[in-house]
Amino acid sequence: MVGAAAIALATAGCAGSGGTDNSGDEAKAGEPRTLTVWLMNGSAPQTLTDSLNKEFEKKHDGVTVKYEVQEWNGIQDKLTTALGSQEPPDVIELGNTQAPSFASEKVLTDLSGDVDKLNGDQWLDSLKASGEWDGKQYSTPFYAANREVIYRTDMFEQAGITAPPTSRDEWLDAITKLKAKFGKDKQFQPLYLPGQNWYALLSFIYDEGGDIAKKDGNDFTATVNSDEAKAGLEFYKQLVDASGTTAPKDNDEQNPEQAGIYGQGKVAMMIALPWEVDTAAKDHPDIKEKTSAFPIPSKNAGETAPVFQGGSNLAIPLNSKNADLAKEYLALMLSSKYQAQFAQAGMVPGASTDLSALDANPVSKAMAEASKNGKSVPATPKWATIEAGQNPLKDMLTAYLTGAKSIDAATDDANKALDAAFSGS
Amino acid sequence: MRKTRGQQIALNTVGIVVAVLFAFPTYWMLTSSIKPSGDLLTPDYDLVPLAVTFDNFASAIAKPGFVVHLANSLIVTLGAVACSLVAGVLAAFPLARLRFRGRKGFLLLVLIAQMAPIEALFIPMFLLMQDAGLLNKLPSLLLVYFAITLPFTVWTLRGFVAGIPFELEEAAMVDGCGRFGAFRRVVLPLLGPGLVATSVFAFITAWNEFLYALVFMRDADKQTLPVWLATFKTVFGTDWGGIMAASVLYALPALVFFLIVQRKLVSGATAGALKG
Amino acid sequence: MTATAQITVPAGSSPPAPPRAGRPRRAGFGERTVPYLLLAPAVITMLVLLGWPAIQVVGISFRKLDLGELVRGEVVWVGLDNYVSVLSDPEVWTITLRTVLFTVACVVGTVLAGLLIAVLMRHLSSKVRIALQVCLVLAWATPILATTTVFQWIFDQQYGILNKTLVKLGFESFAGFSWFSSGASTLTVIGLLIVWQAVPFVCFTIYAGLLAAPRELYEAASIDGASGWQTFATVSWPAIRSLVTLATFLSVIWDFKVFAQVWAIRQGGPDGESTTLPVVLYLKGIAQRHFGVASAIAVLMIIVLLALTARYLQLLLRSREADVS
Repeated sequence: MVGAAAIALATAGCAGSGGTDNSGDEAKAGEPRTLTVWLMNGSAPQTLTDSLNKEFEKKHDGVTVKYEVQEWNGIQDKLTTALGSQEPPDVIELGNTQAPSFASEKVLTDLSGDVDKLNGDQWLDSLKASGEWDGKQYSTPFYAANREVIYRTDMFEQAGITAPPTSRDEWLDAITKLKAKFGKDKQFQPLYLPGQNWYALLSFIYDEGGDIAKKDGNDFTATVNSDEAKAGLEFYKQLVDASGTTAPKDNDEQNPEQAGIYGQGKVAMMIALPWEVDTAAKDHPDIKEKTSAFPIPSKNAGETAPVFQGGSNLAIPLNSKNADLAKEYLALMLSSKYQAQFAQAGMVPGASTDLSALDANPVSKAMAEASKNGKSVPATPKWATIEAGQNPLKDMLTAYLTGAKSIDAATDDANKALDAAFSGS
Repeated sequence: MRKTRGQQIALNTVGIVVAVLFAFPTYWMLTSSIKPSGDLLTPDYDLVPLAVTFDNFASAIAKPGFVVHLANSLIVTLGAVACSLVAGVLAAFPLARLRFRGRKGFLLLVLIAQMAPIEALFIPMFLLMQDAGLLNKLPSLLLVYFAITLPFTVWTLRGFVAGIPFELEEAAMVDGCGRFGAFRRVVLPLLGPGLVATSVFAFITAWNEFLYALVFMRDADKQTLPVWLATFKTVFGTDWGGIMAASVLYALPALVFFLIVQRKLVSGATAGALKG
Repeated sequence: MTATAQITVPAGSSPPAPPRAGRPRRAGFGERTVPYLLLAPAVITMLVLLGWPAIQVVGISFRKLDLGELVRGEVVWVGLDNYVSVLSDPEVWTITLRTVLFTVACVVGTVLAGLLIAVLMRHLSSKVRIALQVCLVLAWATPILATTTVFQWIFDQQYGILNKTLVKLGFESFAGFSWFSSGASTLTVIGLLIVWQAVPFVCFTIYAGLLAAPRELYEAASIDGASGWQTFATVSWPAIRSLVTLATFLSVIWDFKVFAQVWAIRQGGPDGESTTLPVVLYLKGIAQRHFGVASAIAVLMIIVLLALTARYLQLLLRSREADVS
């Protein structure tokens, strides 16, 4: 008797109480409903969400928007338990590199049929791609940002550089001129480039016409040991050597925070996101007026290098009890009215091709220019793990830059590691 | 062993050196919290801060949610520690002193209960709390911390009780106390330092726990300090000065707890030994 | 209780029970249930809150439980697949060995330092002792986010105070020296961090044990003219021996399972060389949301821990300690 009960209890517990009640029960009109929205800290400016939430509530009688800002730290675990609970949030934001892994687990609502209602023709290509899985659209673009070269206008002037570089040669030339002018100061760096800024590396690889992986249906094969990728890697080393940067070769641009180092005033250029200027300005406010930006130069004259586009997607959990309302919330968020506000806030809107607001400020203008040529990482669920854990590209960069491995050995090892990550666990 | 003055001074010096070595990272955290954040990474020699500011503390305290998160942390931590100590002392006595069937089984249970990595337990724990309807309620965290701190509390207190010579209780029983009276009068006071060590450890374990606090509590007003601390790291960069200031504020309750507990309990211990 | 009789009896074991004249009865019902009643709160809590989830972990280790299955509440049995996928990775054996060696190093460091500092503490004047205790508690109480960050800053290649100090003292080669360039040096820094935060508990535990040793024993020893070492061997050590064993045992378990510090410092790098089993559990299990695999790794970790602590368990189960009626 006790045994049977125990077994029943055991299997019930084992089955978990993940709600599967997605019979789409929509409440009768007029019944009060709550729409739970989880957006990440630093995504949508508060002015935007305040007015959007108010407008939504006005449009939908009896609906309250429970808007909660989430921290990136630990969000994976929080989403796991939230999606597995009986009352998941109705709208969630997913990093674009994470979106495929959620989609492939089939825990998101299929939005393929709603693309038109959600401003689909204005969608940013790279974010659209990260929202797709198995031919269906599981999440929508939200906003994006990409890197550019942030530089000190006053230092360029003093070094006799009349215009920002528009090609790789001009870039290297600028480094030489800066070194000649300011090199006497041992702490000066023409270009602060830590060893593991793999986002910059991606740009150089894309520019060579290569990529880190090739798509093959739902699978990917790594192509980091292709000639194009090697050429990109070699250019990275060229920059590091030419500028003599003292940045650590075994760490990335957040450790230590490159914005802080730029802010100290002894760095002429860094490859960064536009808001890193604001971070630098927090401790050194006068740096902002001396700063501008140019897109990462391409090796081909007249073009800008393709860039890695980081950003977020929006999705509706499969078990959400308010999927219909959630879709309307998304429609509002992706409407041109609110997407324009993203541009004003210095981000590339995910669902609007109108980037004019970004031209107001030279730093975001350069980003907007480069964003037209944006790509993302392979849209495979396995990428989430690579990001969460040990990124073979970072190890490859460090090994090559420190001379620990030859370029062939470093790229072959990274290729093997990426393939292992793509194929299994 | 009576010490000469010279010997005492030598020993004290060694003690101070050890204290300084141990304090250095803490000193670094303290000075980082009062340095302007631009000074955190400087090629200059900054063993002593080059400039001092209290802005980091001001902004840390002013950060929304500090008081609420502090209160939540205190509730779940003190609650868990109290439960752990009570259950632990109650269990330590029979495990150390009494003979009964299944004693070895219980010992084994306590030992193995400590071996499971808690990161792997979080899914079953989550499902358990969900089934019990306790998600997003502070008692769920209290129970988890109670459960996490209980095995070593039981085990360590058992060790302390076993280390107290039984003759002391025997003497008390000869004087007319029963088993439990003897335990209460003789062993508990001597257990003082042991209770200090285990309660401080339990406090710190619960106080610093992050993963369960993050996934069990969904609403912002139910969250605890470690989750609050994580908000200093944003997409726009990390407020390191703020984190250091927040960490200093964070470590203080544990220190206060220790000072209170050690004064109350340790005096009892030495008094008890002398009475023997 | 005469002093000389005490010195020969190690604390923790019982002398022969006094003759039972006048108490020949069997233990009554009340007395027999009392142990169980006292144990009840602890045991019930552990069974429900730890035992049940632990059993589930074992069960989950035989299932495929990814995010999808969790959300849909599916139960998919896959037998030993999770174990096979973990054990067939050749790296796992290197990593296990590395974890064991790292654990041993940390435990030895912690227990030795804790023991020495505890003994030292007994001989300090009270102000110095309190100062030392405060420093230890602060080390213990600081959140891991802060301690890992501070250690990284101290050992930073360019801006770390350690390199700057070494250069100032004349060791020019340490300018820009990277303490994290190899797995071994990274693990050494991580080990220092772990030992630094673990010593306080061991130290306080042993110190508490030293305090519990009756003062008369120390006085008797000094009257008998015992040297410091002899006093330690005959009075202090017996009082704390079981605590030292206990602290070692607990340290083995905790240091084996430690994750946050190893992850925070270099995420198991460079090139995976500071990866330990808990890091594998995170990478293969939690980060990818393959909870079945995570559970399998957890079970394997428990098995290794049982092997490491087997001797202690054996001694414990065979012991006759504190058997009194």
